Amino acid sequence: MRVSATAAPSPTRFRRAASLPPPVACGSIDVQGHQRRCEGLRAPNPHPSPWCKRTLLLLLLVILLLSCRFVACGFPGSCRHRYAEVVLAELHVPNSSASTCWYFSLINLVRHFYENLVPSYTICDIDCPDHSLRKITDDGRYLVSFSRNLQDIIVYRPTWLSFSFKGENCDYQSLTQKAKKFDSFFTQLYSVSLGSSSEFICKDFFLYLEDHQFGLFATSTAQSHEVPAIEGAIHGVPSIEKITFHLVRLKDGVVMDEKSFCNDFVNLAHSMGVFLYEDLLCIMSLRYQTIHILQVRDSGNLVDVRNIGSFCLEDDELFLNSHAQVLKFKFCCASDFFDDNIVTNDANIHFLQCMIVPNKGKLVGSVHESANGIHHEPVAQASSFLTGIKQRLLSFIFHKAWSEEADPILRVQHLKKKFYFHFQDYVDLIMWKAQFLDRHHLLIKFGSVDGGVSRSTDQHPAFFAVYNMETTEIIAFYQNSSEELYSLFEQFYDHFHANSRESVHANFISSHSNNIHALEQLWSMKNKQNSFSQFVKKMMTSIPYTCQSQSPSPYFDVSLFRYDEKLISSTDRHRHSTDHPIKFISRRQPNALKFKIKPGLETSGAEARTKKICSFLFHPYLPMALSIQQTYMQPTVVNLHLRM
Amino acid sequence: MGSLLDDWPSYDPHNFSQLRPADSSAQPSKLTPVTYRPTHNKTLPPPDQVISTEARNILLRHFYQKSEEKFRPKRAASDHLTPEHSCKQPRCDYADGAD
Repeated sequence: MRVSATAAPSPTRFRRAASLPPPVACGSIDVQGHQRRCEGLRAPNPHPSPWCKRTLLLLLLVILLLSCRFVACGFPGSCRHRYAEVVLAELHVPNSSASTCWYFSLINLVRHFYENLVPSYTICDIDCPDHSLRKITDDGRYLVSFSRNLQDIIVYRPTWLSFSFKGENCDYQSLTQKAKKFDSFFTQLYSVSLGSSSEFICKDFFLYLEDHQFGLFATSTAQSHEVPAIEGAIHGVPSIEKITFHLVRLKDGVVMDEKSFCNDFVNLAHSMGVFLYEDLLCIMSLRYQTIHILQVRDSGNLVDVRNIGSFCLEDDELFLNSHAQVLKFKFCCASDFFDDNIVTNDANIHFLQCMIVPNKGKLVGSVHESANGIHHEPVAQASSFLTGIKQRLLSFIFHKAWSEEADPILRVQHLKKKFYFHFQDYVDLIMWKAQFLDRHHLLIKFGSVDGGVSRSTDQHPAFFAVYNMETTEIIAFYQNSSEELYSLFEQFYDHFHANSRESVHANFISSHSNNIHALEQLWSMKNKQNSFSQFVKKMMTSIPYTCQSQSPSPYFDVSLFRYDEKLISSTDRHRHSTDHPIKFISRRQPNALKFKIKPGLETSGAEARTKKICSFLFHPYLPMALSIQQTYMQPTVVNLHLRM
Repeated sequence: MGSLLDDWPSYDPHNFSQLRPADSSAQPSKLTPVTYRPTHNKTLPPPDQVISTEARNILLRHFYQKSEEKFRPKRAASDHLTPEHSCKQPRCDYADGAD
């Protein structure tokens, strides 16, 4: 965000080099997040705030904890870890009044201590209950898991183990068998049943609202691909009889509200069809091509805000229904299209004639505009309307093609090439995915029906549109090979994340827009590619962003550690497991191995050929991680990696 | 700083024993930097100035800016381009002005 002299920079944008002091805004700066821009920005603060003293003391505590060997026996191991937990938790308290920019840049500074606080100790095959572990919430308060039969949610509180030793030289004692239990690290809070005989919890879906500690879960019935065609539903998309979203207060497991969608399809895998931004939810109904915007109130209610699809404005439906003549002829578009400054009458007529959708070759009528009103010709047979969002999109494309050419004769040729020739392709586009860019703007991905439910979209053309929900206008429209969109993606990727300011931890996820190492990685990938447009298309598959899909753990900070992104990364996806441990090498000291994560059992030679899938759950600020390895026809192995 | 760490427990009692309290005359915390006092008021902001953060983030600003550029009506190539600067005058012949 652009700030002027007296305001501090957005905390999300600053990433500092290892040796620089925390930056403070000086002068008017455009905060982007490249490390290079942070250099040299410093203004003296002659009047240190009270926070200075508090954070200085905290820093001192952390330094002392790191120098563990010099601490007297009066500080047994358990106390040291307790202090570490307190210190780290103190610095990561969400919603604290200290969430100022200076506080955020302090977190950046303190993160460097994680180079030495690494989860180097592994408890193999911990006695984990037979649940499907889903996620450790971004504030570190809850571990969410689902029962094997996908009927119940079981929520744990991540803690740190506490134990004591008697005698001298207790620092070098290893953990007892009694301490190496799942219960030592996670305390079960409750178990709540969400599913029923026909509905099962979707184990890939979970969203967390940090402010109120609400969790959003989804239950659904079985998916059916053979569905009869219904008015309003598009073909080619499967249907689910009932999808229910449950809002649960994670503190005590009370179900606050539910929202159901019947005979619909929402892409629940990895929460791709739902986007959460602050208290707004955006649910993409693929079958009915509608974006449902809901608000999560403080009371825990899910309230409908608007539906975008068939209609854009709230009173569009009323307006259309009140015109009886609409039933007889084609009618299209909202009144703002007829802007005298931009579009002439000729353009109106051209455009209106195009807005009639031929219904499998049947004759339809046309609409002509005149100064007094609208004259209608009777239609031969009824046809389907274009949806409101599609009309907005087509009118934007038309405007753009119209404005590109000034000469009236050339303009018609240009329109033919850019608009009329591709008209049917544009009409056939469907919405795939949507995300918030801020509270009023959506980024919507359009594509063909074939690529709607599959993950790989390389073969199918895709388009991106920026839609303003308040003015119901499309602001921008790009194809997925657009270099202009790629340059925005490269510079401002953090704004595609659209994290709310209240989420402290999500602001520190490394991306190529806030980290020089990640940017260099992106550039090296770009240089390796033979075709730039293929590279752009590949990069564009990552937007719209899937919210809460990345772990904010400092061990994934690319400034601190180097690791093989194919084996492990901050994105919570299942990966193929290898027999070799995953190495985390220090970024500052190029060959210094800091720690290793080895999923699965220690000895895995015999099962080397069987396919193993691994997933990882990292705590957002404690040096603790779970690795879950699943092998076909064999029990799941859960390892706990922590710092001892 | 030295006095702060003296009383804390330490694994080895000889640790932190070499530290001496800093020279009191040069304590950095006691020094106050020189305050700049301007000698004129030419650079004062207007009295009703309010500094606030722009609501739209930079990505959206770029989208809007690009769309405004695309939708700006373009002049056709055949249009006569009138001079934009009225202060400019056509260059006269040197032969005329030589005398």
